[in-house]
Amino acid sequence: MAKAYPDFLDPVETAPREWLDRMQEAAIIRQIHNGYENAPLIREIWDKAGVKPSDIKSMADFREKAPMFDKDDQRDFRDKHNDLTGGFVPIRPGAIMSVGTTSGTTGDPTPVANPPRSPSEVAYARAAWHQGARPGDYLTELLFTYRGGHRNRYASELGFTKILFAMHPAEMPRIAAGSRRYRPTSMKVFASPFILAMEQYVEQSGDDPVDIFKSYKGVIFGGEPLSQRLAALTKSWGIELFETTAFGEVSSGNQCRMHDGFHAPEDHGFIETVDPVTGEPIADGKIGELVVTMFVDRMMPLIRFRTGDLVSIDRSACGCGSTHARFQLLGRASDQILVEGKSILPRELMGLIESESATRANLFQIIRPGRELDTLRIRIGYDPERLTEPQAALQNRLRDKIGAATGVPTQIELVDQAELLKLGPPHKIPRVTKQ
Amino acid sequence: MTFTPNRPDLIGAYMIDGVQHFHAVTFPQIDRSGSNFSAVIATFGFKPEEFILSVSMLPESIYFSVFESALQKLGIYGTNADDSPFDAGRVESLSRQMDYAAACGVSAQVIAGLKQFGHDPAKVFAGRTIWARPDAVTQLAQLGGFDVRRFVPLGPAFALECSHGGVHVDDTEWQFSDDGGTIHVTSRMDHVEPVSALDTKVAGKLGTAPCGCGLSMATLDFA
Repeated sequence: MAKAYPDFLDPVETAPREWLDRMQEAAIIRQIHNGYENAPLIREIWDKAGVKPSDIKSMADFREKAPMFDKDDQRDFRDKHNDLTGGFVPIRPGAIMSVGTTSGTTGDPTPVANPPRSPSEVAYARAAWHQGARPGDYLTELLFTYRGGHRNRYASELGFTKILFAMHPAEMPRIAAGSRRYRPTSMKVFASPFILAMEQYVEQSGDDPVDIFKSYKGVIFGGEPLSQRLAALTKSWGIELFETTAFGEVSSGNQCRMHDGFHAPEDHGFIETVDPVTGEPIADGKIGELVVTMFVDRMMPLIRFRTGDLVSIDRSACGCGSTHARFQLLGRASDQILVEGKSILPRELMGLIESESATRANLFQIIRPGRELDTLRIRIGYDPERLTEPQAALQNRLRDKIGAATGVPTQIELVDQAELLKLGPPHKIPRVTKQ
Repeated sequence: MTFTPNRPDLIGAYMIDGVQHFHAVTFPQIDRSGSNFSAVIATFGFKPEEFILSVSMLPESIYFSVFESALQKLGIYGTNADDSPFDAGRVESLSRQMDYAAACGVSAQVIAGLKQFGHDPAKVFAGRTIWARPDAVTQLAQLGGFDVRRFVPLGPAFALECSHGGVHVDDTEWQFSDDGGTIHVTSRMDHVEPVSALDTKVAGKLGTAPCGCGLSMATLDFA
């Protein structure tokens, strides 16, 4: 007889709001002391602000007095002090398994110490469990090696077997074969370039995507916003996509079956929003910059870390049963431009660009020499093999379409998409560039 | 009473003649082999808390989870980059940021990627130990200025060169033979996906003399 497992992997996912609030208050106070005593960057920021850990006795104190910092502060500290950790806790034997790095899309990759069981592994295991994966199941994993290397074991400790694939479009035939052979129940991370590669594989081979994916109860999508076309395409393959996003550098926020924002694992960190310009607090439900305080990573005590993401927070209970807060992600504050005073974010252009056959891969960059501009300038990659008309015709149509939708003067530059792909790792390119 | 049969912990892949084959392993197998290879790595005298870079792709976990398990047993910190020209910038960046003592799995495409990004491989690897894949050994050896050693995938197994020039294999875990001039592999231990006389199509022969490093692990000779 099959064992009946609980609906949630960890009871904390359904803990009462009041319990979570009290737990977070205690965890924050503990992390503040750890950060101040052991992380030179945190001490420097707090000393500069004239705040001591002993000044923080409650969540109210924390929100009123604790100073914030961002990635530039970390990079500056790293460069100024030649400190690999960027001013966090010096690496200690036994406390970490390896040192991973961030994607490096916008600069030198940032080192991230990997503890024996990373919060990210836990968050993704919860997500797979939520989708319906249970011990004994196989999980498909497409991943770069830079984040966790070959050390991740939590899924196996839970009784799952991971089928490992490279983050490379050429893996699609093997994903089809592996999915049929092992019949996995969950997959991560199926990013846009790989969905496009699977689409191409299916078109060229005649393989049946519904049969390939019929065992999957959920597939995790990430890297950038999900476009309407890819959402419809994967739905036609019988796939339910669950979006994911980074949460406080070391964990992840994941959608549930309600598909109404990303759940922040609130036992991993506390979330709040501030005005991206003034830093003043913003109430839940309003759009502001996401600020996180992580308590599970003692080596990297992110205390009021400004993520640069524009979000709105909802702490009400979710229809999925989880009590953890959700946030809607609107984009990166640094990606936002104002054209003739009108705010535009890259995700607003995706549906327009992918609607053309030759630009369906959605490879584009907004050219942003400054935050405020007179003209919206976009560099768009096209697939020469799908271009069936003079390039100028496509260029003019895209200009008119985007200009009409945004209501601002628009200039389009078309380039071979192969050129844009050289600008970043295979899963994403910088969406905003200075030139 | 019934018992749960061996369950694989992960499914990676190995390549023979350009074709990738799924291969299942367990963590006990990985950790056993990691202990054995930690002795090979220890011949170089790396210190605890130094960094060693793995240059690999995720399906190669059947090799690199063994390698990283070995590093952990020695107190060495592992760090990672993909074996891809697109990720060669990370190989260079980590050389500056972490000053890794060694890198394992450097291939011809990574060297090409470094050049594409405007980096001189000789400068990036200067003073380090580099375990090169077979397609990169000659090219790297010609550059000079660093210690070139060999990392050789052999179907589900692999070979790793020690500081004395012996290219060692885990002959506790696997039995090796050189029938017809290529290396064949057979499972010796309780593998979740055993292989028998699998022809790796890698030209080589069994070593006959003990290695100067003093380890009892078998060695292979490659042309």
